Amino acid sequence: MKTCHECGAPQLEGSLFCTECGVEMAYQKGATSGNLTTALPFKQFTSPKLSPPVVDGQTLLKTVQKKLVFMIPSSRRRVILTLQEQLYIGRANPEAELYPDLDLAGDGGEDAGVSRVHAVIQMTADGVVLRDLNSTNGTLLNNYLLDPEMAYLLSNGSEIQFGELLVHIFFD
Amino acid sequence: MTSEQPDYYRILDVSPQDSLETIQAAYKKAQKQADGKPKTAQQLIHAAYEVLADPDRRAIYDELLHEARQQDLHISLELSRDTLTISDQEQLLYMLVEVTADQQQADQKKHRPLNLCFVIDRSTSMKGERLNRVKQAASLIFEKLTPDDIISLVSFSDRAEVVIEATNNSNLRLLQSRISSISPSGGTEMYQGLMAAHKQLAAVNLAQHNNHLILLTDGHTYGDEVECLALAEKLAAKSIGISAFGIGTEWNDTFLDKLVAPSGGHSNYIEAPEQVLKFLQERVQGLGNIHARNVRLVSHFSQAATISYGLKISPFTQPLALSDEVMLGNLEGRAPLTFLLEVRVTPQPREARVRLPLEITGDLSAMAGNPREKSYRTDAQCLVLAEAPAAEETSPFLTKAVRIMTLYRLNEKAWSEAQLGNIDQATRRMQHLTTRLLEAGETRLASQAQMEVNRLNHLGTMSLEGRKTIKYGTRALIDATLKLDQNENLS
Repeated sequence: MKTCHECGAPQLEGSLFCTECGVEMAYQKGATSGNLTTALPFKQFTSPKLSPPVVDGQTLLKTVQKKLVFMIPSSRRRVILTLQEQLYIGRANPEAELYPDLDLAGDGGEDAGVSRVHAVIQMTADGVVLRDLNSTNGTLLNNYLLDPEMAYLLSNGSEIQFGELLVHIFFD
Repeated sequence: MTSEQPDYYRILDVSPQDSLETIQAAYKKAQKQADGKPKTAQQLIHAAYEVLADPDRRAIYDELLHEARQQDLHISLELSRDTLTISDQEQLLYMLVEVTADQQQADQKKHRPLNLCFVIDRSTSMKGERLNRVKQAASLIFEKLTPDDIISLVSFSDRAEVVIEATNNSNLRLLQSRISSISPSGGTEMYQGLMAAHKQLAAVNLAQHNNHLILLTDGHTYGDEVECLALAEKLAAKSIGISAFGIGTEWNDTFLDKLVAPSGGHSNYIEAPEQVLKFLQERVQGLGNIHARNVRLVSHFSQAATISYGLKISPFTQPLALSDEVMLGNLEGRAPLTFLLEVRVTPQPREARVRLPLEITGDLSAMAGNPREKSYRTDAQCLVLAEAPAAEETSPFLTKAVRIMTLYRLNEKAWSEAQLGNIDQATRRMQHLTTRLLEAGETRLASQAQMEVNRLNHLGTMSLEGRKTIKYGTRALIDATLKLDQNENLS
């Protein structure tokens, strides 16, 4: 009997994918773990936990376009992307041919604990929102640890941490 | 009989049509030539002569030779691992089986004509583009069939009408004008339609045709599901296959899956009316090119092992209805017949061998012949070891197949949990599915799954549309990702 590393469900010996959450079991052997996000020993954040505004954010807008500028201090990279509907943030996974819109693999993303599918920025009727997609090490917005799947309003100059990787975002 | 068996005719340098005298002369000649050659060669010549000179033995030999040449199916098998660790708990392993037709023979083979019946739902909800597209598609498909093919068409609402009686496909104009006369009204009572179709299909010699029923519907049938399923069994027993297509979101996919199961048929989801033609064309194309029909699987596993899940991957994706004899449908077109089995093994003592033989049977008769059933057996086994072996490499293809099967089953599980009122669990599962789909790069399916998560959170239900989009979307995923790989493997 094995235990799924993602959801903790007991799995029969020989199962290739978890029957409860669908994650690949083979990764647990450590054979291919180089590609997997490792959980970081998270520091306790002592900063005041002021929640950024939470909005419903269910209605995605297809018609509105907005230019976003991402500044990544660790690699001194500046990325300009056009937000229409949504932008995914994570690390490229060539095996699954999955390339996020903002790929942080080259910015030391793996060491900083960025998940392959980490978060999404969406253009909604309530404004530009950020959602953490159940990432391993979580997302901080202005030093506040976000609840996964919830929509938080982004504003110009917001400071985001994907795992431990700091990114500043500006609206053009 | 294996292919290594010597060909006696070739040894004596004669042809199978030659007379006894010719064979005797050839034998003497061969004997002289073999003088001084190794003894085994001389023995072989003698053995050949003994068989061919005796009319009875020659007749039996001819028959065997004929069968050996007709080795028309090839079966390959892959296990996710061939060793099991000793354990006091159940274990899992996966088997991927691929049945292919001998391509050279398949190309030469003359195919039986089709005996095809369309069963079209003309209930009020089909009004407008849906029915128009279906009618258009049926007309176009009739145009493409050969004159030998037999076609019929039944429409149904509260009752059934035979629009085209079983006829050969000669007077196209007439047939098309009949099709255009179908107009929508009434409810959906499928049993009436299937009954009428059965009558039309059974009107021709079933042994000489590839018989198939194609059902198109957009709604639930009312109160006659049990009768429909019983009739589907009956049709399957007569070698009549069923393909069922649901249009829109209101039809019952579980029911259609059950309906096609006895014949190993195919059910699919047509999201938009303009796709009707594409789906039907693909289906009819496959039917026109059948190498083996009625392919069945029987497992002769030792008591220790049982098949716990089966999914057909090619020529189309369909969950298998597990029973003593699993119906696999036809081996058709250029694609192999591929399926994936999940096998559970009970705790075993050390050094035990778990035997996993499979028997695959199919009707290989060519045109107009009597059914020519042939069975093939594969042998596979697992050895139980005390210690875990070094990590075994599962092939990427098998892994991919299991990955997509897992996604498909997650959606099914979440749906049944939601229906049982287990909303929290269903929500969590859909969230996991969303993540998995994103990882797989399937953003469209992922966002549909995310929408279902939201629906579950707010309303405590999932949408019919979402269920079908994800269910058939993951099935199509198999088509898209795995078939591509298969083609690469072939080339």
